[in-house]
Amino acid sequence: MKRSKRFEVLENRPIHEDGFVKEWPEVGMIAMDSPNDPIPSVRIENGKIVEMDGKERKDFDMIDSFIADYSINLDNAERVAKMDSVLIARKICDINITRDEILDISLSMTPAKMNEVVCKMSALEIMMGLAKMRARISPSNQAHVTNLKDNPAQLAADAAEGSLRGFDEEETTVGISRYAPMNAISILIGSQTGRPGVLTQCSVEEATELGMGMRGFTTYAETVSVYGTEQVFMDGDDTPFSKAFLASCYASRGLKMRFTSGTGSEVQMGFAEGKSMLYLEARCVFITKGAGSQGIQNGSVSCCGVPAAVPSGIKAMGAENLFSTLLDLECASSNDQSFTHSDLRRSTRTMMQFMPGTDFICSGYSSVPNYDNMFAGGNWDAEDFDDWLVIQRDLKIDGGLKPVREENVIKIRNKAAKAIQATFKGLGLPAITDEEVEAATYSHGSKDMPKRNVNADLKAIEEMMESDTSAVDIIKALYNGGFKDVADAVFNMQKQKVAGDYLQTAAILTKDFHVVSAVNAPNDYQGPQTGYQISDERWNEMKDIPWAVNPEDY
Amino acid sequence: MDQEQITKEIVEEVMKAMMQEKASANKVVTKAETSNTSTNRIDSTSYPLSEKIPEKVYSRTGKKLSEIKLEDVMNGKLKSEDLRVSPETMEMQAQVAESIKRETLAGNLRRAAELIDVPDKRLLEIYNALRPYRSSKQELIDIANELDNKYNCTTCSALVRDAANVYEQRDRLRQD
Repeated sequence: MKRSKRFEVLENRPIHEDGFVKEWPEVGMIAMDSPNDPIPSVRIENGKIVEMDGKERKDFDMIDSFIADYSINLDNAERVAKMDSVLIARKICDINITRDEILDISLSMTPAKMNEVVCKMSALEIMMGLAKMRARISPSNQAHVTNLKDNPAQLAADAAEGSLRGFDEEETTVGISRYAPMNAISILIGSQTGRPGVLTQCSVEEATELGMGMRGFTTYAETVSVYGTEQVFMDGDDTPFSKAFLASCYASRGLKMRFTSGTGSEVQMGFAEGKSMLYLEARCVFITKGAGSQGIQNGSVSCCGVPAAVPSGIKAMGAENLFSTLLDLECASSNDQSFTHSDLRRSTRTMMQFMPGTDFICSGYSSVPNYDNMFAGGNWDAEDFDDWLVIQRDLKIDGGLKPVREENVIKIRNKAAKAIQATFKGLGLPAITDEEVEAATYSHGSKDMPKRNVNADLKAIEEMMESDTSAVDIIKALYNGGFKDVADAVFNMQKQKVAGDYLQTAAILTKDFHVVSAVNAPNDYQGPQTGYQISDERWNEMKDIPWAVNPEDY
Repeated sequence: MDQEQITKEIVEEVMKAMMQEKASANKVVTKAETSNTSTNRIDSTSYPLSEKIPEKVYSRTGKKLSEIKLEDVMNGKLKSEDLRVSPETMEMQAQVAESIKRETLAGNLRRAAELIDVPDKRLLEIYNALRPYRSSKQELIDIANELDNKYNCTTCSALVRDAANVYEQRDRLRQD
């Protein structure tokens, strides 16, 4: 065949580097509405669910048992099961029906019912639902702060810059797993240098992560993963019961915590039981609710490439976020992992959360160059900061970030690098050199950073973890090193654990350590001029991108 | 005994009584029970506790919230242990959650209140024992008994007993 020049051009576009597959419902390669998804049902006898979504109790797997016994408000369950799903779907996107009225229905649904209801909604209607059902009144954003070399000065500098740019939570992870405690300390100090009150976490294996939280190296956790089929849950080396217990462990140490799940994980791990990705995700969100977690990170997360390859996969990610809000959970709505070569596509993927606003639109936004993102690359990264600011300004939508001045960023990065240098000195960790401080101050990524002695770092970390080093030692090191304000901020983060106010749903902290959550700042959106309104002050800040020309200067 | 100490002891006594009342009542808190509030219960209007009722917030070691100061960390008067939540404060957070229909979150916070006194190391061990294929049924029952008898963790032990039964049914116990 003689080739069409048009087709040759199209084939060379970035979108053609992405993978697409046709639906295959038998193995679960289907995002929504699988012919194998269960028909909703519920039957209650003597205050106990004896049949759910077409299964008798004797046939329940571990997930069914957990959901039936812990996750569903039985008061309205039988009535809700009989309600017309289209009618409920309409109520969800109807501005005249309050969030509380929806919760009276949705908290009594079964997973198959919620799946059926949300499958009746268009992408736009899902966004309308999210705008109303989001837990906290104000949207927010979270950053990823990592680098290829696990360099502490760079981690601290990037965390400080992220705080300055407006992120309310920051998450790190590791290149080499044994670096975890050092990375956690680095972003703790960096975050508090940039803006006191930012919450931080270090995503690693569950028990290790809890151990770091107990020492006060972190203030929240997120990677408490749950799955929608029993076999995948077992492969993940946990059960709904172990995760529920873990949730209580975190809270008992005064640490904020949310679960994580997402469409595509089950089929990727080979046990989807022929169900749609979205139905299996409904089960995850119900497990999260039953375990008593205040919130969840979902929206396919690190499995993004799987639903993105099949029809309506991106819509399903918005739908799963809506599930979370329908169960009155905080929703950190993913938009993290890189999944496409197309700039058009990656920004469109984010619109389902950016437009309505979620508790954390990205979870997180990669605040480093793509090569430094240790969560396998970000859908948004440091090189997109200005694009994000302009999109906020174009649409007058609060995406959580603020324009910053170069001189202020340089200053805060330098201060954070020096603060972590002083902390390492105080804790007896291998020195951070002046050369590293200088490089971290002006760096874009770890390619700009000198090499550290990895073996010396790892040995020192091991010794630190054998001792009882805690946040108290970090506070002392900062204070004695001349960083009293940072010491005070780290101290105040520890003090949060005493009152526990930030354990409530969707909590974040202001720079004055005032808690803003779905308790004292609940979403009350009911159409125009209700719910979150951008203040004049915030709008002036959002408008003020430094490179916009002042008309008077022409 | 100064005024502060007296107030603190009264609060502690009241909270203890309330906790016991809860523990002995049916573990599943129904709406009817919740609405039958005693005068000491708090709700979302007392939130944030650190701002609305700071005088009722004490650390696990009995330090008043307003007494927790950076200078005392520096002079060694405050230790890591003083920067931890108390069961009484956690119960108040559970009541806040419950007052706005977040019953499962309240349940989690009540389990957490129970676990405050379980040492870090033991907590991690119990978590690991609850992972699949780690424990025999008897080992899980022993853990439940330990939680009950040694630490008075009655809601946590119920969760572990439930897990033991479900793991047995689903063949997820340790295979020796």
